[in-house]
Amino acid sequence: MKRSILVVLVLLLLGANIISAQETVTVEIYFPISVDSPITEILNGYAEAYMSENDGVEIVWSFEGGYGDVKNRLLTVAEGGGDVPALAIMLATDIYDLRNAEVIQSLDAFASEDYLSDFVAAWLANSYYDFDGDGTGELYSVPFQRSTVLLYYNADLLADAGLDVPTNWEELATTAQALTTDEREGILIPNSWPYWLFQPFAAGSGQNIVSDSDTEVFFNNDDVVEALNFWVALYEEYDATPDGVQSNWGDAPGAFLDGSAAMILHSSGSLRTIIDNADFEFGVSGIPGQDGGSFTVTGGGNLYMSADIDDATAQAAWDFVEWLTAPERTVDWSINAGYYNTRESGFELDAWTAFSEENPQVDEARATIDSAVREFSVQSLGDIRNILHAQILAVLNGETDAASAMEQAQTEAESILSIFE
Amino acid sequence: MTQKSFNPLPYLLILPTLIFILLFTVYPTFQVLRESQVYFHPNRPERQRDTDLNLPGIESETRSIRGPYNVGFAYFRAMFNPSTTEGEIFYQVMGNTLRYTIVTVPVSILLAFLFALLVNRTVQGIGLARVALFYPTMLPMVSAATIWLFFFTPEYGLWNAALRFFGYRGAENWVINRDLALYGLMIVAIWKNAGYFMIFYLAGLQGLPDDIFEAADLDGATWLTKIMKITLPLLRRTTLFITVIAIIGAFQNIDHALILTNELVTGEADLLLYEIYQQRFVLQNYGFANALTVVMITLLLLFTIVNFLLSERSDDQ
Repeated sequence: MKRSILVVLVLLLLGANIISAQETVTVEIYFPISVDSPITEILNGYAEAYMSENDGVEIVWSFEGGYGDVKNRLLTVAEGGGDVPALAIMLATDIYDLRNAEVIQSLDAFASEDYLSDFVAAWLANSYYDFDGDGTGELYSVPFQRSTVLLYYNADLLADAGLDVPTNWEELATTAQALTTDEREGILIPNSWPYWLFQPFAAGSGQNIVSDSDTEVFFNNDDVVEALNFWVALYEEYDATPDGVQSNWGDAPGAFLDGSAAMILHSSGSLRTIIDNADFEFGVSGIPGQDGGSFTVTGGGNLYMSADIDDATAQAAWDFVEWLTAPERTVDWSINAGYYNTRESGFELDAWTAFSEENPQVDEARATIDSAVREFSVQSLGDIRNILHAQILAVLNGETDAASAMEQAQTEAESILSIFE
Repeated sequence: MTQKSFNPLPYLLILPTLIFILLFTVYPTFQVLRESQVYFHPNRPERQRDTDLNLPGIESETRSIRGPYNVGFAYFRAMFNPSTTEGEIFYQVMGNTLRYTIVTVPVSILLAFLFALLVNRTVQGIGLARVALFYPTMLPMVSAATIWLFFFTPEYGLWNAALRFFGYRGAENWVINRDLALYGLMIVAIWKNAGYFMIFYLAGLQGLPDDIFEAADLDGATWLTKIMKITLPLLRRTTLFITVIAIIGAFQNIDHALILTNELVTGEADLLLYEIYQQRFVLQNYGFANALTVVMITLLLLFTIVNFLLSERSDDQ
């Protein structure tokens, strides 16, 4: 009797030793999504698949409401000395705020040249920040759920009117004008959070509102002012879109689907819904430039790694990042969640070929990526964005003219940005 | 010894509450007071620069644009000086909050009283009317704001359609137009609060003695006279109570602003608490956010003390 107890004890000790020898590393990831989304099922599926292939790693998704909530939570937890997650999905444009606040770490030690070179270049435009001031930017984020602005057009309505897909500003305006009826808007441009949809117009006019620098903006540039004047002309001259500020981001895809808008400008994130629900032929393209060409802007969230995590966790987290952004996953993520496939080699996979043959619009969307300009991101982004938005909205509300508004925005922005130089 | 021996029991009994208050109310209050004297912009890199920080009373010298370092009461000096950025924001926000309070509190109380009179009758189906008027109260502010976002939609939104029916031809972008956005917030708050305050009036009305009204009827008093001379004076306590919670509530409202006007209008519709959120989380100007919080705490504290003195006095009468 006594002996058997001893045997049991020894076995227990041995067992405990074995368990502690292969201690599991937990990789927690803050993810911006409401809990009742099918996205959570996809992500949990990825985590299960990864854990079944890799012993000793536990992947824990921690879902938060939106990008802002994830950022606030990470900042608050880090500041209060709590347990920070290993990874977080946050806006690509928040890179400066996050690095300056010392809550994220450089990925230079992890990311190989080969790995990075397979990403479609446009997605990395907001991933580098020369924080240490040595002249070359450090990598701080890896593209994950990315989108662009697209022009969605109702091909049936265009064909009925004998019109072609617009290829420059003049055609965009006249086409939208021709398609406008009492029951239908020619084009809808949700502009209550204006910078993002404005960027393709500015770029199409000849000048993006930002460069690669973190302290430079081009608000009062002649081309940028011209782009804003074109927005105003769309309703003042052409009557091709509703007057002034349009707070209809959420309604626009529905209006496009039920035929009450012939064209809309919207995120590529709406492509999935529109493909699934459109009972007419439609196409997507970039936004035509002033004198031709096609323009868009990148958007969406990247994977960041927290500062202040131990080496084992950091390595485990990076291994998962590489797995999660492998071409097989980025294509699967694109097909199921509607974001872009971010890896060049993903486009050669059978899964992608089959998907794009079935849905030609995803290839049309893909064709816009090369013309995507860098999304608006500078130091003190919250302040600078407020300044730009206030002036654009004032112009759309008819309170001032584009040239003086953009001059004002430039002056205010420079007075803040100058302290970072 | 005439003095009673010390009895520790009452103190022991309030100890748990006291610890809670010290830990979660008193300590954070002093913490905020201390941190309102610290310049700290965690979203800025550590860069040395010759700067006067644009805060009054701070000597120009080379220092980090990030912080943290002590600036004393510079944020308060800046706030009360309208020629500084902080002062401009502070005056605008306090003006907005004052306008918001002055409009929403009396209007929702008046509506609440009228609603209470309306449903304080024994007519068939009155239960339904009570539910309908009380219903907005049960909704979380976020849902209420989301519903109103739809009502406020230009062209086909219910609110704009109704206004057009009555001949309104002005701007319809209620949550984006700088002249309208604050009224948009007021409308949602009134819609939501009137039903809540109605419940207090209804309870008060049902507790009033019938015999006074019968006596008034015998004297030939009109409906209006009875309301003005009997009902309202008797409900004085209820009105005072509602006024207090309405004013405190007006300072605490933020949810609907986050849904309706969040970053869409800059300044014109920002309420105090909303501005604190903006400064603290979006712009990450910690010192200014803490200084604004101190102002808010002080205002609410003053208000509570005045209210306490007033109600104590009326108790003595």
